Amino acid sequence: MLDDLGQVFSNVEFYMAIVRMTAPLLIAAMGSLLAERAGVVTFSMESMMLVGTLGGIIGSGLTNNVWVGLLLAIIFGALIGLMYAVWAVTIGAHQIVTSTALNLGALGLTSILYALVFTRGAEVIENVITVPKLAAWKVPLLGDIPFIGQVFFNQLPLVYLGYLLIPLIWYILYRTTWGLKIRAVGEHPHAAETVGISVAKVRYLTIIFSGMMSGLAGAFLSIGLLGSFQENMTAGRGFIAYTAIVFGKWQPIGVALGTLLFGAADALQLRIQAIDPRIPYQALIAFPYIVTLIALMAVVGRASWPASSGTPYKREEV
Amino acid sequence: MKTESKVNILWRKYTERSFSLLVPVLAILAAFLVSGVLILAWGANPIEAYVSLFSGAFGSPNAIATTLERMTPLIFTGLAVIYGYRSGFFNIGAEGQLYMGAIAAVWVAVTFPGWPAWLLLPACVIASGLMGLVWILLPAFLKAKRGINEVLTTLLLNYVAIQYHEWVIRVDHIQEGITLFGGEKPVWTWLNYFTLKDPTQPYPKSPFLVDASFMPSLKSILETNLVTSLLGDTTWYQEVIKIPALGRMTLAPVLAVLAVVLIYFVMFKTVTGYRARSVGTNPEAAKFIGVNVPRTIFISALISGTLAGLAGGMEVLGTQHRIIPSFLVNAGFDGIPVALIGQLHPFGGLLSAIFFGALRAGSNKMQVITSVPVAVVYIIQALAIMFAIAGTTVNIQAIIKKRRMSKGINQKNAAKVAEGETYAG
Repeated sequence: MLDDLGQVFSNVEFYMAIVRMTAPLLIAAMGSLLAERAGVVTFSMESMMLVGTLGGIIGSGLTNNVWVGLLLAIIFGALIGLMYAVWAVTIGAHQIVTSTALNLGALGLTSILYALVFTRGAEVIENVITVPKLAAWKVPLLGDIPFIGQVFFNQLPLVYLGYLLIPLIWYILYRTTWGLKIRAVGEHPHAAETVGISVAKVRYLTIIFSGMMSGLAGAFLSIGLLGSFQENMTAGRGFIAYTAIVFGKWQPIGVALGTLLFGAADALQLRIQAIDPRIPYQALIAFPYIVTLIALMAVVGRASWPASSGTPYKREEV
Repeated sequence: MKTESKVNILWRKYTERSFSLLVPVLAILAAFLVSGVLILAWGANPIEAYVSLFSGAFGSPNAIATTLERMTPLIFTGLAVIYGYRSGFFNIGAEGQLYMGAIAAVWVAVTFPGWPAWLLLPACVIASGLMGLVWILLPAFLKAKRGINEVLTTLLLNYVAIQYHEWVIRVDHIQEGITLFGGEKPVWTWLNYFTLKDPTQPYPKSPFLVDASFMPSLKSILETNLVTSLLGDTTWYQEVIKIPALGRMTLAPVLAVLAVVLIYFVMFKTVTGYRARSVGTNPEAAKFIGVNVPRTIFISALISGTLAGLAGGMEVLGTQHRIIPSFLVNAGFDGIPVALIGQLHPFGGLLSAIFFGALRAGSNKMQVITSVPVAVVYIIQALAIMFAIAGTTVNIQAIIKKRRMSKGINQKNAAKVAEGETYAG
C-alpha cells in the first residue's frame, strides 16, 4: 500500500492533476473575492459555474471553436450574475436564499437547454455529445524547466489565467482606488455612500465579474477537461470554491491556498481510485468534502467576515 | 399622530395577511407565464402542456395517489427548512439527512425482518428520524458553540451522505469484508453490518422490505374490523372502498399533515417554539429577554434534522420499499423552495408541498402527451421561488416603511427594525 502511494507521490502526473483540479476552483474563488469583499455573499457561484459548463459546450459544439465556447460561458455566467445582482442589490433579497434558488434553477435550466440545443429527446444521458475542447499550451522557456515546467507551465491556457488572477486581485484590492472602494463598501456601506461611492454600482459590477469568472471556471470543467456535458456537472465545486474564500479569510493568498488544498484532495482521491478499484470509491469521492469540512472547523473563527457581508444596503429616504 | 378607526385597522390587518398568500400565488402564476415562453420555444403549446400537467396530477384517483406520494417527502423537508429557518438555522442539509434517514429505516427493516408490524414499522420510522438528527448533530454543535456558518457545514455533509448511500447499496449486506490496497485479508468487517445491497441481485439496490415494515394503505385501514363495523353499511363506504387507488394511498401523507399541525403547534403555541422564533428573528433581543441562544439553536437544528430524516423514512416505508441509487434525488433541496413559497409558515409549506408534488406527479404525463421535458417543472419551480423572494422582500420593506412612518420613529430606530425583520419576520 505504501509502495503504491509512494508511486503516486513520485509521479509528475499527480502534481499536474493537482494543478488541473485546483484551477477551476481558483478562477471561481478569485473572481468572486471582489464581490465578497464588497459585502455580497457569492453562494450563487455554483449556478454560475453550472451555466458556464453549458455555455462552453453550446459555444464550442455549435461553432467548433472552443474560444466561442469560453466567450459564451462568460456571457452565461454574467447573465446569472446580473440576475443575482438585481435580487441581492436592487431588491435587497436574502442573499443565501436567492443563491439557493438560483442554484436549483440552474440545474433545471442547464439540462433543458442542453436537450433543447443538442438532443431534443428524453434520453439525454445516452446521447453524450462530444465537442472540441481546449488544448494544453506550453509556456515558452518556463515550460522547459524540469518538473516545475511540466507541472505548472504545461497546462490549459485557463490555468494561467488562474495564476494571473492571484496577483491581479491582490493588486486591485490593496493598491487601487477601486479596491479601496470595494473594501469600503464591504466594511461600511453607509460611510462609503457619504463619500460619494455608489454601493449599488460597486456591488453590481463585482457580482457580474464573479459571474464571468465562475462561468469560465465552469467551462474549464466542460470544454477544458472533458469535452462533454453531464447533468449537474459541477457537483458542488462552486460551494467548495465558496468555502475556500471563507477558509482563506477573504485574503487573496489564503483563498488561493484554500483552493489548492481542495484541489489536492480531489487529485489524491482520483489517484487512489486508480490504484485499487476495490477500495470504496464513494469514500474517496466524499474525501474532498470531508477535508473541506475539517478545514472549516479547524481554521474558521467567528470574526473574519466582511462587516456588511450578506446585508442588503438600502439608501435611507428622508 | 391621528388615531385610526377600528375599520381601518382591521382592513390593514386583512390586506397584510392576504398579501402573504397573494405573493406566492402571483409568483407561481408569473412562473407559469415565463415558462410558457420556454415551452413555446420547444415547439409545444403551453396551455396543452399545463392542462396535461394538471390532469396528470389531479385528473384521477390514481393521479391523486401519485401527487400524495410526491408530496409527502416534500412536506417533511419543507417543515425541516421552515422550522430551522424561523429559528435562525438555515438547514441546507435536508438532502443528506433524508438519505441517512431512509438508510436507517431500511437498515432496521432488513436487520429485524421477523418483528411484528406493530413493532417494526414504528421502529423504522423512529430510526429514520433519529438518523436525521444524528446527521445534523455536528453542524448544530458547530453553529451553537462555535458560530460556524451552518449553511456550509450542512451542505458539505449532503455530499458525504449521498456517497454513503451510493456505497451502502453496492456492498452485499453482511458478507465478506473490505480489502484495502490489494491486501489478502478483509479489514473492517464490522462495516458490513451497515451495508444494504441485496446479495441475490446483480444491481445496486437494497433488498425489498418485508411487508411488516410497509406503511399501511388507506384501503387496509378502511378494511379493519373497527372501521367496517362502524361504517360498513353506509352506501358511501361501499363506493369509496371500490376505488383501486386507495390501495396505493398510504398512511404516510396523513402522518405528514399531522406533522404540519404538530410543528405549527410547537412553533406558535409552546415556549420552545416561542424561544426558537425569537432567536430566529433577533438573537440579540432574545438574549436580552433571557433566552439561552446557543441551546435554542441547537435544539431547533435537531428538530429540523429529525424532520428531514423522517422524509426519507416515509419515502422508503410508504412508497418505494427499497433503496435504489439516487432514489429520491433533490427532494431534500426542494424543501427550500417549498418553505419559501410557503412563506416560512407550516400551513403555507403544506400548500406549496401539494403544489410541488402535483408538478412532479403531472410532469410525466406532460412529457408523454406534449413531449415537453420534465425539467420544465424545475424551471417553473425556480422562477416561482425567485419571484416569491422578490415579492416577499418588497412586501416586507413596504410594511416596515409604513410602520416607520405611522410610528414617526427616527431613522436610526427604523434601520434597527429593518435589520431585525429582514426576511423571516
